[in-house]
Amino acid sequence: MSTESPNSVQKVVVHLRATGDAPILKQAKFKIAGTEKFAKVIDFLLRQLHRETLFVYVNSAFSPNPDELVIDLYNNFGFDGKLVVNYACSMAWG
Amino acid sequence: MIYVEILFIEFKGTACRYIPTGVLFDLLCAEPERPWNLTVHFRGYPGNLLIPCEGEDSVKWSFINSLKEAAYIINGNCKNVMNMSQSDQVDLWQSVMNGNLDAFLRVSSKLKLGKFEDEYSAKTLCSPRSRHGPGEADMGGQMKTGRIPVRLYVWSVNEDFDDFDDVPQLDSWDKISYINRPVEILREEGKYFSLHDAIRTLLPEYFVHQPVINDKTRIEGEEEQRVASEDAISNRSTEEGLETTEQSEPPATAISSNAELKIVRIQGIEPKLEIPFSWVVNNLMNPEHFLHICVCLKVP
Repeated sequence: MSTESPNSVQKVVVHLRATGDAPILKQAKFKIAGTEKFAKVIDFLLRQLHRETLFVYVNSAFSPNPDELVIDLYNNFGFDGKLVVNYACSMAWG
Repeated sequence: MIYVEILFIEFKGTACRYIPTGVLFDLLCAEPERPWNLTVHFRGYPGNLLIPCEGEDSVKWSFINSLKEAAYIINGNCKNVMNMSQSDQVDLWQSVMNGNLDAFLRVSSKLKLGKFEDEYSAKTLCSPRSRHGPGEADMGGQMKTGRIPVRLYVWSVNEDFDDFDDVPQLDSWDKISYINRPVEILREEGKYFSLHDAIRTLLPEYFVHQPVINDKTRIEGEEEQRVASEDAISNRSTEEGLETTEQSEPPATAISSNAELKIVRIQGIEPKLEIPFSWVVNNLMNPEHFLHICVCLKVP
């Protein structure tokens, strides 16, 4: 990131929801700096679930580009103060 | 025989991301060279940088996925895209592949993503109505949230240049800020909302000292949102951070003074910044309904 913005201090609450037969995490809500890329959320899930691949969605609808900033996703698609991220072991929403 | 496992493309040492080809060209070639010299690699795939591309299906998937994202920004949901029939989806993809505008419009009109009101043809320049609130419908009932999906690629340079030949070489994606912020067309009586206004509202951190229409209210709105979200976080004090230990940064005003817009490129052209933004959106957006804007900024 070459841009420093006032948003750099903002944290986003991410709500991780299992879909289909994906295992449920003990802790479903996490805070992440808005300046992080969505790739960080994907990496976190892969590590937590000890998997090589996962299908990760926002609002049960689409998979954002891993380069997208968490703060942009929150501002575009967040509600009730959080960003809902769904994860599945197989493709859930084509 | 060459066994093509995964393929990726490089331009002057930069592995190309999966963003629309035209956008890559606008972004990477300050001086538009012809022909565009690209290197195709069949091995050494940078898996840490790129998502594997496994043929046409993954490109189609990526297109539909972006379309859903855009629909969500425009309508607040993407049901119309998700409920698209299989044959419509095939038709839509074929029309994009073949560059068939008529077929594209025929299918995409079913998605009810609307056209943004063209301020010139609608002649609302002197209308006292302002419609920048979410959910307000215009006369045609087509405008939904009033939000326009924008993908903005900002390349900040420190060196000044007057000639495209002197533009510093972009050698790393880390130098590009990839920003996805929707634009709401803000209107003031007797004025129209230009491309320049849109860029300034997209990048408030660079243009804080320049007065913009409704700039003040916008910054206040963002401030409220920020406070609200921090409240939400403090209510969940038991939550663990996702490895987030970043310290608060000082306010950005110090670095944000007068950045200079060196290049603004959309669909291969450098439009005049006074052009009404609604015209830009209606005429220059990509088929997945995102407007891709490449910006080169000179920062002090």
